[in-house]
Amino acid sequence: MLSFLIARQTGVDEPVRLRRAESTRRVLSLELNHDRDVECIHGNGINTIDIEVIEGRYMLSGGSDGVIVIYDLENNSKKPHYTCKAVCTVGRSSRYVHKFSVETVQWYPHDTGMFVSSSFDKTMKVWDTETLKPAEVFQFEGNVYCHHMSPIARKHGLIAVGTKDPKVQLCDLKSGSRIHILQGHRGEVLSVKWSPRYEHILATASTDSRVRVWDVRRASGSLFTLDQHNGDKSKASSESVNTAHDGRVNGLCFTDDGLYLLTAGTDDRMRLWNSATGENTLVNYGKVVNESRKGVKFTVSRGCSPEFVFVPCGSSVAMYGLHTGELVTMLRGHYNNVDCCEFHPDYQELYSGGKDCNILAWVPVLRHPDTEDEGADSRQLFN
Amino acid sequence: MNRKRTLMPDAFRTKKRRFGADNLIGNPEHGDVQEGPPDVKATLQYLMTLFPRKLFNDSLPQIVLKHQLYSLHSDKTLVDKQVNELRDQGELLMFQLGFDSDTFALVFSVDYRAKVLAGEAGRATLGTVEKFLDKVLPCCSDLSFSKDKMLKQFLFTDAEITQLVKSGVLTVRDAGSWWLSIPNSGRFTKYFIQGRKAVLGMVKKSKYNEILKTDLEERRTTSHVKLHMKYHVHDIIGAELVECIQTTSGTLLRFVDT
Repeated sequence: MLSFLIARQTGVDEPVRLRRAESTRRVLSLELNHDRDVECIHGNGINTIDIEVIEGRYMLSGGSDGVIVIYDLENNSKKPHYTCKAVCTVGRSSRYVHKFSVETVQWYPHDTGMFVSSSFDKTMKVWDTETLKPAEVFQFEGNVYCHHMSPIARKHGLIAVGTKDPKVQLCDLKSGSRIHILQGHRGEVLSVKWSPRYEHILATASTDSRVRVWDVRRASGSLFTLDQHNGDKSKASSESVNTAHDGRVNGLCFTDDGLYLLTAGTDDRMRLWNSATGENTLVNYGKVVNESRKGVKFTVSRGCSPEFVFVPCGSSVAMYGLHTGELVTMLRGHYNNVDCCEFHPDYQELYSGGKDCNILAWVPVLRHPDTEDEGADSRQLFN
Repeated sequence: MNRKRTLMPDAFRTKKRRFGADNLIGNPEHGDVQEGPPDVKATLQYLMTLFPRKLFNDSLPQIVLKHQLYSLHSDKTLVDKQVNELRDQGELLMFQLGFDSDTFALVFSVDYRAKVLAGEAGRATLGTVEKFLDKVLPCCSDLSFSKDKMLKQFLFTDAEITQLVKSGVLTVRDAGSWWLSIPNSGRFTKYFIQGRKAVLGMVKKSKYNEILKTDLEERRTTSHVKLHMKYHVHDIIGAELVECIQTTSGTLLRFVDT
């Protein structure tokens, strides 16, 4: 690490290389820390977590009991031991709480004054954070599995919603209309994600084993469907031609630069795709255990080189190298199935929530000072 | 300046190798403790020696399953890449055995040709099979062929296609398409599935569902296990049907409950 520092100081390297090197070193040393805790509010499993992008200070979580909690992640106490307290909750006593489990929550990408939650009670609610009352409620005919707002959108305020209905619905925040639908899937839509690179590109995953990439400005159907065999029709049996997975596709995640798309399916495989051409990069992650009936929420690290994927696998979180596919480590600590995980890019921390009602924080291990330094410090204290 | 071209991970090469009791990277088997790109061809040749030729009266070429390579090399993506390179060069042939859409069998082209022609010697279908081996295999590394392709691209007639199916080189996939297959491989598939079930049963019946790899290899095999024990062990590790845990007494195989 000293070589990186000296190189940056003398101008031999760009500043971003030191930052990336240190971020990668920190991510490789993620561990459960007994100094960091998240307050346990949920009485039932936690389905979804979202950390706001502006400050990285507030975290939303949605549970199977319909409760939504907002936590403050910043450590204002001067002590190393810190519990992230819940700032406010939409509990069972609130008039507007969801009746059934909350499947997805997401902060409004531009400020924390608003957040959107969708639930199995067939509604999607747009909440005002100050008053904790829904400003808008969208009703649907089937269970809402997921929704997503584009993190970079300036020209539109569309929320893509995946429900039991094969049609993907786009709800407009500015006008409240929901007439825009995307037709093409033949099964329930389990996961939707906007591209973080182009504000009009949307990827959707469905139980019909297909992943479609759409440009919402286009009147006709999807741009392309992801094919796991890259057009090699001979490799598969005739039913699995042109499918992304051999089972239901239930997880989608774009990398931070939007150039690659990761998909996870119930055939216990995870695949990495080139998001511009739809080509399967054929990175082999091995068996990524996936038995979820709903969507799987996994995440990719940001600001490291090489990048890592964090995927909930049973009761632990598996960490894979993004482009090599090798399993780096398994983060064990939960007592029951892990449902969601979220990466905090500023501090390289990982938060994961699961059926054991806990949100665990995985914090990079600090380098311990050498014994000589410790001795010198303690002598100075006495003096 | 060369510095700008070096990859970041080089700085972390030592830190990335976390040797703990649950490390899944690094397999000391076969003197393979990583460093350098995996030599897939050498590993294939080693695995081929585990295949029992006498059992099938030498009528089958030596078959290795693709996922057995994963048990000897940790980087699956590189292994896949090298296998595809060998296939493109025409040295290796890949087949779908039919019991799992994800399982592929690998055979060296030389072996395959020799055994198929030996099996066909004296039969009426010899000419068609020879034509198929000479025309189709060198240029097309597909796993299956559709009727369209066979008729138009390779100019085979319907009668010739029937002969190829009869000889075992093609197997029916669905109406109008065929898998490339190994003649007389049905017995191999049967013994393989039987043996796999028996070996997994051995692991399951052990206390705590786990057994040391060296212990398993030394166990007396029942009559259900006809292939070599090591062959099956590589198979169950590579297919991730058991979890590989490094312990101080060697590699421990723990049954994965799915």
